[in-house]
Amino acid sequence: MSDLVQMVEESATRLLGSFVETQATELMEAGVFPQSIWDDFVADGWLKTMLPEEKEGTGLGLEGGYLLMRLAGYYATPLPITESLIAFYLAAEAGIDLPNSLFVPVFLTQDTTQNSTLIIKNVPWARHAEGLIVIRPTQTGLAVSLVDTGLYSCQPGHNMAGEPRDEVSLETSHLQQSSPLTGADMEKLDSWMALARASQMAGALKSVLERTVEYANERSQFGRQIGKFQAVQQQLAVQAELTSASICAVDAAIQHLSTEQEWELIACAKITTGESAGYAAKTSHAVHAAIGFTQEYPLQLSTRRLWSWRDEFGNEAQWSARLGQQCIDLTTDDLWSWLTTQTS
Amino acid sequence: MKTLNFQPVITAEKENVLRQEVRDFLKEHGKIKDADVIDSWSVCDPEFSRTLAQKGWLGMTWPAEYGGGNRSYLERYVMIEELLAAGAPVGAHWVADRQSGPLLLRFGTEEQRTHFLPKIIAGECFFAIGMSEPNSGSDLASIKTRAEKVDGGWLINGSKIWTSWAHVCHQMITLCRTAPETKDRHAGLSQLIVDLKQTGITIRPIENLAGDKHFNEIFFDDVFVPDNRLIGSVGEGWGQVMAELAFERSGPERFLSSYQLLEAAIKQLRSNGVTHQAKMVIGEYTARLMVLRQMSLSVAKQLQEGKLPVNEASVVKDLGTSFEQDLPDAIRLIINSEPRPSESEGIERLLSDAILKSPAFSLRGGTREILRGIIARGLGLR
Repeated sequence: MSDLVQMVEESATRLLGSFVETQATELMEAGVFPQSIWDDFVADGWLKTMLPEEKEGTGLGLEGGYLLMRLAGYYATPLPITESLIAFYLAAEAGIDLPNSLFVPVFLTQDTTQNSTLIIKNVPWARHAEGLIVIRPTQTGLAVSLVDTGLYSCQPGHNMAGEPRDEVSLETSHLQQSSPLTGADMEKLDSWMALARASQMAGALKSVLERTVEYANERSQFGRQIGKFQAVQQQLAVQAELTSASICAVDAAIQHLSTEQEWELIACAKITTGESAGYAAKTSHAVHAAIGFTQEYPLQLSTRRLWSWRDEFGNEAQWSARLGQQCIDLTTDDLWSWLTTQTS
Repeated sequence: MKTLNFQPVITAEKENVLRQEVRDFLKEHGKIKDADVIDSWSVCDPEFSRTLAQKGWLGMTWPAEYGGGNRSYLERYVMIEELLAAGAPVGAHWVADRQSGPLLLRFGTEEQRTHFLPKIIAGECFFAIGMSEPNSGSDLASIKTRAEKVDGGWLINGSKIWTSWAHVCHQMITLCRTAPETKDRHAGLSQLIVDLKQTGITIRPIENLAGDKHFNEIFFDDVFVPDNRLIGSVGEGWGQVMAELAFERSGPERFLSSYQLLEAAIKQLRSNGVTHQAKMVIGEYTARLMVLRQMSLSVAKQLQEGKLPVNEASVVKDLGTSFEQDLPDAIRLIINSEPRPSESEGIERLLSDAILKSPAFSLRGGTREILRGIIARGLGLR
């Protein structure tokens, strides 16, 4: 890890950790934007984490962005950190300058040729944004359009963690003005978003494990801490295994960005974190018993996120089928020679 | 709570060159029989081991002064994963190369090193593991085999069991009780190198449920072992054994035992057509395998750095053996074949071998429950 990355990690840890004791989550879940912690986040310059230095960014690229997303997952930060970072990054790549406000990315699966009204489901945080960064495939490559707030309408919705997931109505005429985005296609952007959720899950998994081990060491029943019971130990050991596998899978995917194996390792990361999420949520709730089932106890902040994120940008079954198809379609004679290029 | 560290590793050019060398060697060697490819590190072929020795692939990481290759753990990792993935019969030298040699390098005397290491490297000296006993499996500290101090050496009485290839191996590192059991159950144990041709030793083969005869029961009746065959210090056997296990638990053999079945399934699906469920299974298992490789490589790198990642090794082994056990159960549901041990080749044979051999995968080298206990201790629960 470079010194810069380490410095960034330390200061992001301080900042996101300081948000935990605020009322931000309650606000978000009540449909109110947590403006005050967002302002702190923006004031520190984090929106430009991934931008190159010549664009006044921190120069940490996708790698630095994913680091921040993992920490946001660890602290269950009720802010659109992933969405705003990706929007800023893609806009900058397309040469669009954005003011220091909230913009969220919208990915269309096909080009819009006729004038019509688009209904786009599950757009994170759209109702609170200053604008949308809409990316769509065209015959000549990807096109990026900035659509200002006021030019679209939102039907509010939210995921199981209470994070805004809105339905956006948008006239295609607003997409006429666009800038090209080179060096990527929709599949790549889709995988980047999947890795974003995988990074967030890796953080949440770590937090859930730590919280659950701590609880098992505190809570006593039958005259001893419940963590002393073998039945509990064995389940938590498996949770620790899956958590460390998830972190390793995400780290490996990040390390292989911009290599030939980028997509495959992202697939592995989303599959691994998705599979681990279910086991970790189930086990941590079992260990916590009734207290963990309450709104007041913070375990649910992480488990509701895990249950939501594992399905966003492709669940483990969808990614497995895609990766499986890839294995069947290989032009190499065997799977092994393809597999082993992952670390070469 | 200790953090589990699996920092990913990217291998370099020298590892890639070696990988190609191993592939070229395997190509030249010719097709390995289907009947040998499942759990190929339990298949003993001394001649094959000597061929590997000629390539310089035994004792690869050991110092040149003993004839070793002085190469990195990552290079050894690449070499063994290529052999294992191909299903090469590496069982004869496996224990000596993986753990006995490293144990001697760590705790052995100079005389022991100069005596044994060159022979292991030449493929002329194979080692067996002498840990389990009829009444001591997971509870290794309860062993009863005794080594009594006599003039010039030790006299061993007792028995060991589940010892793979004891009838082929030359030496066995034998964990013995050298002092009566006290409150500290881990005290009073010592490791002795026993020449398996020594008088007083009886080796009785035990057939497993798959019909293989690779493991044995060994009886010691006043077996004399000279003083210079004691490893490390008297009474320190427990700590030495634990260090040995870090090397034993994290390698690619902990997830590649049934790997050839995955290759065969993909080939069959390609020609017979693939369902959505089949794609999902192949993708899921490929993902698990890729992540296990990353984790195992990471442990290899940590061993290279002189660390002793005992908890990480346990994680790799538990996840890895679950993978190699789950694989046949998943594959059988997506192919149109029944397991058939009477076939000499083909996916029916591989499936049958993988199912019949799989119970051992999570027993050898520490059971699932023992490993999870170690991990729980690392979490601070014990």
